[in-house]
Amino acid sequence: MKLKTGNELHEVSPHIMINRSTKVIMQDVVLAMIPALLGSIYFFGINALILVVSAVTTCVLSEYIWQRIRKEQLTTNDWSAVVTGILLAFNVPSTTPIWAVMLASVFAIIVVKQFFGGIGSNFANPALMGRAFLLFLWPASISGYVTTYHSGVDAVSSATVLGLYKSGSDFSMFSKWDMFIGNIPGCIGETSTLLLLIGFAYLCYRRVVNTAATGAYIATVLLMTFVFSRDGLFKGDILTNLLSGGLILGACFMMTDYASVAPRVKVTLAVIAGLITAGIRLWGMLPEGVSYGILAANCLSGLVEIIIRPHIYGVRLKKQKN
Amino acid sequence: MKHYFHGGIHPADGTDKQLSNQKPIRIYAPKTVEISMKQSPGSICEAAVKVGDKVSKGDLIGRPVEFGGANIHASISGTIIDIRTDSDFSGRKSEIIVIQSDDANADETNSISDYEESLVDLSGYTKEEIIIKMNEGGIIGLGGAGFPTHIKYETKERIKYILINAAECEPYLTCDHMLIMEHGYAVINGVLLLVKASDADKAIICFEDNKQDAAKHLESIVSDKELPIEIKILPTRYPQGGERQLVEAVLRMEVPAGKLPASIGVIINNVGTAKAVADTVIGSIPLITRVVTVTGEVKEPCNYMVPIGTRFCELIELSGGYTIKDQRVIEGGPMTGICLQIGGTYDTLSGSVTKATSGLVVLKDVPKDETPCIRCGECERVCPAGLAPFKIDFAAIEDDISLCNKLYATECISCGCCSYVCPAKRELAYRITEAKTEIYRLGA
Repeated sequence: MKLKTGNELHEVSPHIMINRSTKVIMQDVVLAMIPALLGSIYFFGINALILVVSAVTTCVLSEYIWQRIRKEQLTTNDWSAVVTGILLAFNVPSTTPIWAVMLASVFAIIVVKQFFGGIGSNFANPALMGRAFLLFLWPASISGYVTTYHSGVDAVSSATVLGLYKSGSDFSMFSKWDMFIGNIPGCIGETSTLLLLIGFAYLCYRRVVNTAATGAYIATVLLMTFVFSRDGLFKGDILTNLLSGGLILGACFMMTDYASVAPRVKVTLAVIAGLITAGIRLWGMLPEGVSYGILAANCLSGLVEIIIRPHIYGVRLKKQKN
Repeated sequence: MKHYFHGGIHPADGTDKQLSNQKPIRIYAPKTVEISMKQSPGSICEAAVKVGDKVSKGDLIGRPVEFGGANIHASISGTIIDIRTDSDFSGRKSEIIVIQSDDANADETNSISDYEESLVDLSGYTKEEIIIKMNEGGIIGLGGAGFPTHIKYETKERIKYILINAAECEPYLTCDHMLIMEHGYAVINGVLLLVKASDADKAIICFEDNKQDAAKHLESIVSDKELPIEIKILPTRYPQGGERQLVEAVLRMEVPAGKLPASIGVIINNVGTAKAVADTVIGSIPLITRVVTVTGEVKEPCNYMVPIGTRFCELIELSGGYTIKDQRVIEGGPMTGICLQIGGTYDTLSGSVTKATSGLVVLKDVPKDETPCIRCGECERVCPAGLAPFKIDFAAIEDDISLCNKLYATECISCGCCSYVCPAKRELAYRITEAKTEIYRLGA
C-alpha cells in the first residue's frame, strides 16, 4: 500500500481541524498545575520551587539530548516533558535531594518514555515511574516529610496524615480545613486539594480531561476505604482519605494522563486503580497507594482493552445473520 | 426524545452556513459546459456523441460502462466542440465532453410546471415506470457519493422506510437547505414518487435543528394532507447525514456490516435526489442541473442553480473571486471534499460541476504538521463506526493490512471526524480509507 506523504498528504480531507494541538493540551496541563505549585512554595518554601525547576530542566534536557543523539524528530517543544517534570516533583516531598529528583527525571524520560518510543508510546506514566524508581532504589531520599511553614510549629519532620491514620496515631492537630487548603505534611504538589481542584476545573473548562475516570477513581477509593476501614466495616474516615494524601493529585492529573489508555476502558481502569490504591492504603505496608494504583492500572490497560470489546457499527448484526 | 448516533463532532460554530443561506438561489446559464463522463467515483461512462454533433438540452450524451454509472445528458443545447480525455489522480481515464451553446436557444423561457407549486396527482405512475424513468434520467445520489438511485430501488427486500436526508451535516454547504426553501413542492412530489417506487410505509424527511425554517416550510406543505411523510428534526451533529448514522439516529437500528440499508428495509436518499426524481418523472427533464454552494473566502458566497458541466472557475468568478491569496479550494464539504487547488488564481482552477458536486468551499490553507499520537483517545470517542482510528493508523503505516482488517478498517465511513479532532494533526481518516480500499482490493 502506497501512502501519500509531504505535500500530497497536505491535500487530503478533512480540510478543517479542531483548534487544539498536543502542545496546547500540554500547556493547559502546565497552567492547571500552577496554582498547586504556587501553593507548595507557600507551604514548603523555596525548596519546592527548586525541585520543580530541577525536574523540569532535567526532563526537557534528557529528552532533547536523547533525540539529538538518536537523530529522532525533536518533540521537546510539545511541552510534554515539562508536564512530566512538574508531576514528578509534585510526587516527592520538599526534603528530597536535588540529585534524586534529577536522576528520577532522567529515568522517567529516557527509560520510561523514550525507550518505548516517546510521547504516546510509553506504557505507564513517566512521572509516577520516576517516583517508583526512587522509592525502590533510594527509599530514604523521599521519605522525609516535614510539616509546613504554616502549621503553627517550625517545620519539623512528621509523618503524613495518612501515615498517622494508618498507624492509629493521633492526627487531630491537622484540621480538615488545613487538609483542604494544603497545610499538611506531604509531597510537594499533593497537599492542597483546593488548588488542585482549581487547576482541574480549568482542565474541565478546556475539555482536556476525562472527568468520568477522575470521578470513578475517587469514588472507588473512598467507597473501599469507607467500607473496609481499620475501625470496622463502614467506619472509614472519608474526608481524611479524600483530602490527605495524593488522591486528588492522582485523580485530576495522573489518572487522566494519556499513557496508553483508550477512552472506552478509561473508567474501568480508573476503578481498577481505585481498588489497588484502596487496597494498599488498607492492607499494604505503605500508608499511600495512589502512585502504585495508577501505575498498575496503566500496565493493565492492554488486558482490559482485550476484555472490553468496542461496539463497532453493524458488526454484531452481521455475525448474527451469518 | 433526542435522537443520537454514536460518536460525531461539531466541526464548526454555525456561522459557516450563514455565509450562504440568506440569499436566494441564483440561476446561471454558462456559454460552455464541460461534462465529465465520470460523474462520481467509480462510475465511468462512454460518450454517445462525437465532435460536431448538435445536441439539445436533455439529449443522451453518455452511457454507463460500469455498474455504478448512470446516463448522462446534455445540460445545455448546442454543439459538441471537443471531447478530450482526462485522467484522475489514480490514473483512470475518462472523457470530458465540451458543449458550446447556440445563441438560438439562449433565451428559452423557464415556465414553471404544476409539480413545482402544488402537490400533483401521482396515481398515474406505476412503481416500474418510476424506476425506469429514474434510470433513463440518469439520477444518482446528489449527496456526494453518487450511487445510481434506480439500483437502490431495484432491491428485492421489503422496504418499510424511505429516509430523506436533509441533514446537510457538512459545514458551509447550504445547497440542500436552499433547495428546500425554494423548491419545497417539487421535493415533496419527489418524495411521494420515491415512496411509490418502493412501496414503503412512509418517508421520513430528516433535518438537523439548524434548519428549522426549511423543516417548517415542508411541514406547511404536508400538514393536514394525510401523506405518508413524517418530518423529523435531529440535533445538529456531524456526520448525521451518513447513511448508517441516519438510520441509527432516526430508526434506532444498525445496518449490518457489509450490507446495504435495504437489508433492514430502509432506503436513504438525499433531498436533492428527491427533487431530481420529480423533475425526471413528472417534468420529463433528466438530471442536468443542480444547486451548488460557492462559499467561504469568496467575495459573495451564494448558491447557484447551474447546468451539470459548469466550469468551477466561472462559479468562483461569479462569486467575485477569492478574498485571500493562500486559499484552498474544495469540491464538496470541508470534511470529505476533494482539494482542487492550493494557492494560485481562480482562472487556473480546472474541473466542472458534476451531479455529485454539492459545493465549492474556499478556505484558508493552514499548514499542518503531523506529530506523534499521544493516545488521548479522542479519535476513538468521536468515531461513528466505533473504531480505534489511532490503532488502524499505526497498522496502516506499518503496511499491516491483515491487522487493519482485524481492527475493522472496512467499517470506516471516511467521515473524517478522527482527523478533525486529532491534537497531533494525524491524517487518520486518509490512511484508514486507504487501508479499507486496500483490504477490498486484496479481497477481490
